[in-house]
Amino acid sequence: MDMNYLELLKLASPEAIVVATALAVLAVGLTSKNAPVLCSTVGVLGLILAAAEVFMLPFNATLFHGMLVISPLASLFKVICLTLAFFTVILARSDRSSRHHGEYLALLLLATIGLMLLVGSEELLMIFIGLELTGLALYVMTAFDKTDIRSAEAGLKYFLFGSTASAFTLFGLSLVYGMCATTGLAAIAQKLVAQPLSPLLAAGIVMTLIGFAFKIAAAPFHLWAPDAYQGAPVSSAAFIASGSKVASFVVLGKIVLVGFGPAHGSAAWHAMVAGWMPVLAVLAALSIVLGNLVALAQSNVRRLLAYSAVAHAGYTLLGLVAGGREGFSATLFYTTVYAFTLVGAFGVVALVRRETGGDDFVNFSALWSRSPLLAGCMAIFMLSLAGLPPLAGFFGKFYLFSAAMRAGENHGLLWLVALALFGSLISLYYYLIILKVIFSEPALSEVERGHQNLEHPGQPRGRLREGGDFLQRTTVAVLAIAVLFFGILPGALLARIIAALP
Amino acid sequence: MVTLGDYLLVSGLLFTIGFAGVMLRRNIIIIFMSLELMLNAANLSLVAFSRFRVQPDGLPNYHAQVFVFFIITVAAAEVAVGLAIIVALYRARRTTHVEDIATLKF
Repeated sequence: MDMNYLELLKLASPEAIVVATALAVLAVGLTSKNAPVLCSTVGVLGLILAAAEVFMLPFNATLFHGMLVISPLASLFKVICLTLAFFTVILARSDRSSRHHGEYLALLLLATIGLMLLVGSEELLMIFIGLELTGLALYVMTAFDKTDIRSAEAGLKYFLFGSTASAFTLFGLSLVYGMCATTGLAAIAQKLVAQPLSPLLAAGIVMTLIGFAFKIAAAPFHLWAPDAYQGAPVSSAAFIASGSKVASFVVLGKIVLVGFGPAHGSAAWHAMVAGWMPVLAVLAALSIVLGNLVALAQSNVRRLLAYSAVAHAGYTLLGLVAGGREGFSATLFYTTVYAFTLVGAFGVVALVRRETGGDDFVNFSALWSRSPLLAGCMAIFMLSLAGLPPLAGFFGKFYLFSAAMRAGENHGLLWLVALALFGSLISLYYYLIILKVIFSEPALSEVERGHQNLEHPGQPRGRLREGGDFLQRTTVAVLAIAVLFFGILPGALLARIIAALP
Repeated sequence: MVTLGDYLLVSGLLFTIGFAGVMLRRNIIIIFMSLELMLNAANLSLVAFSRFRVQPDGLPNYHAQVFVFFIITVAAAEVAVGLAIIVALYRARRTTHVEDIATLKF
């Protein structure tokens, strides 16, 4: 094996820059008096530098049998993950848990490194390490707010479910390794072509998929998501819902389409064949039904977003079930658009929570009269999630569903597409309820709002201060414009994704 | 002669015991130990595969043994993070039983 460490350092330079930034942020947080502002500045600069460095990388390179792969796809999604981290760092400034801001940002950056390793690797060991690095950083970020009793509880639940899931993935990977005697994805595919689907191999594939179903919060492995989304600091929840999800879909796509490719089976209604496709199809169907139905009963915005995230994971899986280049590109486009939408929505939640002390529906009532900007942005995010034109969510869903319709013979996936359409119809109802609360309900009286603050002592009370958090408002507005832009000109992103796929 | 099947049987058994422990036990510390058991089940099967999938040159397949060392390290990191979260929760609630931790519901 050719071990050239200088070349390794060159090819892994974006990751190295983020590591250095994480350490710098940690040091600044410990020493500086004016820590939060300085930490954020250093973090943001490091992320921009790393993104610039990604563009300087060579076009294609493979190190150590695929442990580190530079490809157009990997580079594109490294930049997307860095961008999501960038927005999250800016949003994190409005959290109350800023007493240890340096540590918090360092964890966020470490999670980002995990995401970059995930999208830039085609080898089981590296994928496992990336998953764990991301996971461990996110568990701590979830439990970070010591002033909120729910934060530690959410962290514990996320940790327990997450560790169980990674144990499942690991056991599954060990069986797959045992059957194929290799850990590279392309080599696994070659071995799978030659052998039938033995019970041990099937068990390995299913257990691996269970672990990933947890990561993307697909039913019935979604139980951690509502608690983590609701209990975690808002910026942590935003990053779990966006960055972690995008990278998980990229790597899940690579594993099933490249690694397990030959063992795909079929998910067509009358012609189910054993393989990973029917497993993913069942996960998708369960997620769409369960996520949408339970979301109807929620009265907390973050919890509602969590259950809708379960449903969206179901839609996104449709592209992988459809398979092929078209299906994968649909999945990648949808998950990217969804991630940006959710970061924006959580940004609005963070600002509202800061002003009113909570994130239940009551806290959003008459947001329109208090802050037209936030209300307008929230409307764009919700309508995009519901999939109404001309927003990005509409085109993403359209592309996903049409890819699934065309896949296989005789429109075999029609049952899944019909279910997804039905689910989207249901979802319109609960997204519109949020908009109704924002736009047409009377404002809370001062007495009620005071009562709210008694329930959450320590929260700042008072009205919306325009200009107090200019940066966060700008971020939310930029994200809303991006969602609108990708809806009107979806090709700007989609063409890049399709060009990046091999 | 101990065969690959025997190792896999023990490994599967360990994994099942660990998973049952996670599902059924009510004390977080015990759940935590069960999690470690599940990880070690994967270690055992990896090492067994490494030993029995001999390469053409007669050497074991070392990929899996490298994998195991990384898993041991990751498991240690997981313990550190997990115990930190448990301590944070214990300070807030004075309990390590999962039934008592139910502020967030449905």
